[in-house]
Amino acid sequence: MSDRIEEVRSQALQAVASAENLDQLNQIRVQYLGKKGLIQDMMKAMKDLPKEEKPAFGQKVNVLKSEVSTAVETKQVELAKIATAQKLERERIDITLAGDALRLGTTHPLVMIQQEIEDLFIGMGYKVAEGPEVEQDYYNFELANIPKDHPARDMQDTFYVDPNTLLRTHTTAMQMRELEKAHGVKPIKLICPGKVYRRDDDDATHSHQFMQCEGLVVGDHVTLTDLKGTLEFMANKLFGDGRKIRFRPSYFPFTEPSVEVDVSCPFCNGKGCSVCKGSGWIEILGAGMVHPNVFRMNGFDPETTSGFAFGVGLERVAMLKYGINDIRNFYLNDVRFLKTFDRFD
Amino acid sequence: MKLSYKWLGEYVDLSGITPEMLAEKMTTAGLEVEGIEPLAQAEGLCIGEVLECEDVEGTHLHKTETCVGEKTYQIICGAPNCRKGLKVIVALPGAKLPGGTIEAKPLHGLESNGMLCALFELGVDRKALRQDQIDGIEELPEDAPVGETDVLGYLGLDDTILDVSLTPNRADCSAMWNMAKEVGAILHREVKWPDYEGQADIGTDTDFQINLKTDKCSCYYGKVVNNVKVGPSPKWLREYLNAAGMNSINNVVDISNFVMLETGQPLHYYDLAKLKKHEITVVDDRQLTMTALDGVEFEIKTGDILITTDGEATGIAGIMGGEESMIDENTTSLFIEAAHFDHASIRRTSIRLNLITEAAQRFTKGIETPAMAKAVDRSVQLLREYAEADGFEKTVIAGETGYVPQVVTETLSHCNGLLGTSFTMEQVVDTLTWLDFRPEVNGDEITCHIPSYRIDIDGTADIDEEVVRLLGFDSLGSTLPEMAATVGQLTPVQSFRRTTREMMKAFGFNEIVTYTLVNEDYATKGFNPVGEPVALAMPMSEARKVVRTNLINSVMEVVQYNEAHQNSNLAFFEISKVYAKGKEDERLAIVLDGDMQSDRLHKYAIGGDFYALKGIIMTWLSRFGFAESRIRIAENQMDTEHFHPYRSAELYLDRKLVGVFGELHPEYAAKYDCKRVCYAELSIEPLLTAKTGRIRFTELPKFPSVSRDIALVVEKSVSAGDIVKTAKNSGAKILVGAEVFDVYEGEHIEAGKKSVALSLTYQTDHTLKEEEITSAHQRILDNLSKRLNAELRG
Repeated sequence: MSDRIEEVRSQALQAVASAENLDQLNQIRVQYLGKKGLIQDMMKAMKDLPKEEKPAFGQKVNVLKSEVSTAVETKQVELAKIATAQKLERERIDITLAGDALRLGTTHPLVMIQQEIEDLFIGMGYKVAEGPEVEQDYYNFELANIPKDHPARDMQDTFYVDPNTLLRTHTTAMQMRELEKAHGVKPIKLICPGKVYRRDDDDATHSHQFMQCEGLVVGDHVTLTDLKGTLEFMANKLFGDGRKIRFRPSYFPFTEPSVEVDVSCPFCNGKGCSVCKGSGWIEILGAGMVHPNVFRMNGFDPETTSGFAFGVGLERVAMLKYGINDIRNFYLNDVRFLKTFDRFD
Repeated sequence: MKLSYKWLGEYVDLSGITPEMLAEKMTTAGLEVEGIEPLAQAEGLCIGEVLECEDVEGTHLHKTETCVGEKTYQIICGAPNCRKGLKVIVALPGAKLPGGTIEAKPLHGLESNGMLCALFELGVDRKALRQDQIDGIEELPEDAPVGETDVLGYLGLDDTILDVSLTPNRADCSAMWNMAKEVGAILHREVKWPDYEGQADIGTDTDFQINLKTDKCSCYYGKVVNNVKVGPSPKWLREYLNAAGMNSINNVVDISNFVMLETGQPLHYYDLAKLKKHEITVVDDRQLTMTALDGVEFEIKTGDILITTDGEATGIAGIMGGEESMIDENTTSLFIEAAHFDHASIRRTSIRLNLITEAAQRFTKGIETPAMAKAVDRSVQLLREYAEADGFEKTVIAGETGYVPQVVTETLSHCNGLLGTSFTMEQVVDTLTWLDFRPEVNGDEITCHIPSYRIDIDGTADIDEEVVRLLGFDSLGSTLPEMAATVGQLTPVQSFRRTTREMMKAFGFNEIVTYTLVNEDYATKGFNPVGEPVALAMPMSEARKVVRTNLINSVMEVVQYNEAHQNSNLAFFEISKVYAKGKEDERLAIVLDGDMQSDRLHKYAIGGDFYALKGIIMTWLSRFGFAESRIRIAENQMDTEHFHPYRSAELYLDRKLVGVFGELHPEYAAKYDCKRVCYAELSIEPLLTAKTGRIRFTELPKFPSVSRDIALVVEKSVSAGDIVKTAKNSGAKILVGAEVFDVYEGEHIEAGKKSVALSLTYQTDHTLKEEEITSAHQRILDNLSKRLNAELRG
């Protein structure tokens, strides 16, 4: 009988070892360890043995049973692992296929620039003023020290609605409203972004509608050097660190002294390139110290008040910054153009 | 303005200063030089004489033998005025002209060793030439030295022209004398004007009368000059006029132009014999047609300033003289007019008549009144010298110049205070002295006596500007304003816009910015106009005539443009103000053309339909804290012209209209070559004024909820909204949610009815017992049955 045990053991262990999958293993388990399995049969056959052999035989069969059970269990873990691995492999996907085409919208580039400027100045304690686009001549021109028939009115040909109403030609109109509203109370720190309109034929560099952002600071001792420092801040924010500012004398009716402001070319770092036409500088805005007449007309005493103002064209900034050559792109709104601006900058 | 470097040198010593150096210094000081051009550009020229000239048969060409000193060449010339004996400018082979290098090559089969030149071929501006100088080759004087090779020098064309862009406040610099003063101040060099003063203080008694009948002419200087001999101008005079871009006519007319260029004062010389009376009356109350100097007729209207003699118009004041009193070769007596006319009136008249003459431009930009006396003095001086004039009558002056010398007192500390600089008194005084401001120092005070031509200077800020522009902006430091702290923050509406933008962006929409000005149709017939449109007085085109009263057409144009450029599945939004007479509104426009999100590969799409749009709008409203209970969606009865009548809705918040949204009417969409487009135009105002509650946290429910799904069969006309509302209003207190999750019509459902699947959620402050649920559920079913005749589907 002992031989029989050995035979069953070697058969069972071999069968378990060669089981290829969990189904086979289960069949093997039933074949040997099941209620009608070989090992149980041997237990049953024990009753035919002489009494004295029974304990030893029983023990041997038990050992066999436990041995085969362990082998089955071990094999089962092993085969389960393989089965899982096979299942996972069957689930293999092509990771090079595109992900879900989730669409993220875009902010219009002019609005992007506007918000960038707003955030910079809000951080420095400025408020963001607003005003009507259909404006009174009084705010657009009269209060800005540009009386009727002033030659400077030629500088910005105007869309009039009637003799007293027009589409604002510059965001200066908002500055005037804010100055008037302040009733002589200082300090004032504000920027006023918005759409403005001039009688220009639309082409690559002209637009009858465009966007400006002006800034105004009024206090007791505001200086021209304050203007320079402030604009340096803005230039660095808009065009990257290390920008320098250059003033050139100019003329605006509402400022005196008036300056054109150049920024050192961000594309060649001032060495000279095609963008700055070799000069190393790019003209970006106009600015100056608020004209005493503007203070007077708005109820401030120019003797004890000083201030600066500046105005920047948002299209100009965006065109420079992003290399846009035709201003009409901003108003055509081609999706391919708009999608250029779908990332953090 | 065109500034002649050579002419400028008459008044300021420019030695050691090249035109380029001058240009840079001027630009730095605020007189921007936009270009530097030689007056003429030519190398390898010489003066020649046409010895023989015969016509080449069958052509307009001439075959010449032209002598250039020792040698004679055969040169073929096409100019009509080419003739034997003419002294000419010759460009021999190898000569360089703006048009290229001259080569010896056959012309019409005939050997030609060079070219006989017209001045424009040397690069002289055609505007500075007479027609005959453009039609033919230049005819040199008989005494021109044959063989001379410095032709440009001989012609006075060895000059450089600086194109100076003058800002409106520095119109004084369009007068050469004043420009010279400015350059002197920039270079720190002395400026010498001709000794003209008092030249006109001579003359016999005159019978000439001047009457000013309008206050638009404040002052008028008139002077009769007899025994004038009209003839060609001296060479220098022709050259300077050419350099300034004017052509030479005769000595007298040239002098009037030259004096204007020098002093800035426009002059008009009348042929005295052609004036019907020795009288000039300035009026502004006539309406007539007159012929001006250039032979063109102009409509004069009331308000235009007019020069009249014996009641008849002789000139459009300050703009152009009349043809009848023009100076010609037979003129022997002149009447000189130097007057001051109202700049605004001249501006209006010249713009209306489209007569933007040199004189009109100068009046428009403003001239000092003392320039009248300067111009008359200088005229007398030059007419005597170059037109042999000797019969002068006394100057007649009508009106007053009103000139009061300008004195401005600034302090050094205020100047430095405004500029943020630390200029010394010496620097400032030096600068002001060079400007001829004759500064007087008294302690910190600097009193400036402003020269009459600097009409732009009338306050301390002007002085500060002069100081900083001439001492240079390079010395400026960089500081930030020192003042009481201010709070910088966005206003509620500004934050609202930003949040809306972020949200729309997250939903995949591209922001657009479109034009405010639209055609009339768009504003009057467009969707939900805010009121009567604001129309431009003088529109530039039909397409940009009125201020838009709504956004729909502008937005649809963008959709149309993109569709036409193969861009599909479009999702745009725009935030913009719209205007009407006396009204302003701010709108959010949203448009969906195609799928909002879609993916062919992974096979899904969020269609751009009514419900997608509604979802966005409801999310937008809830983002700002407006509970669904405050929002009403009503059938669109406001605008079924632009919208699909059964797939659009009116949106109300707290009973205030916010806007209309839904599918566009196919006929309207077709105008933009579109099929199914969903659009919303919503007013921001009602959202800004509506109150929103604070964010409040309520404890999370501790007990589980129970859901029951039911299917109801109702009449087709019963809306999902009614079903949900009826369920909620059944009085079942434990009902916390009612949601439609399916709607079905068709097979197995009776015609005219539909099946609506509803999910009901129950929850309360303890674990629900079955009988509580059953009772509440029954109550709801009863109510649905009673109110809506809803049957539970088996």
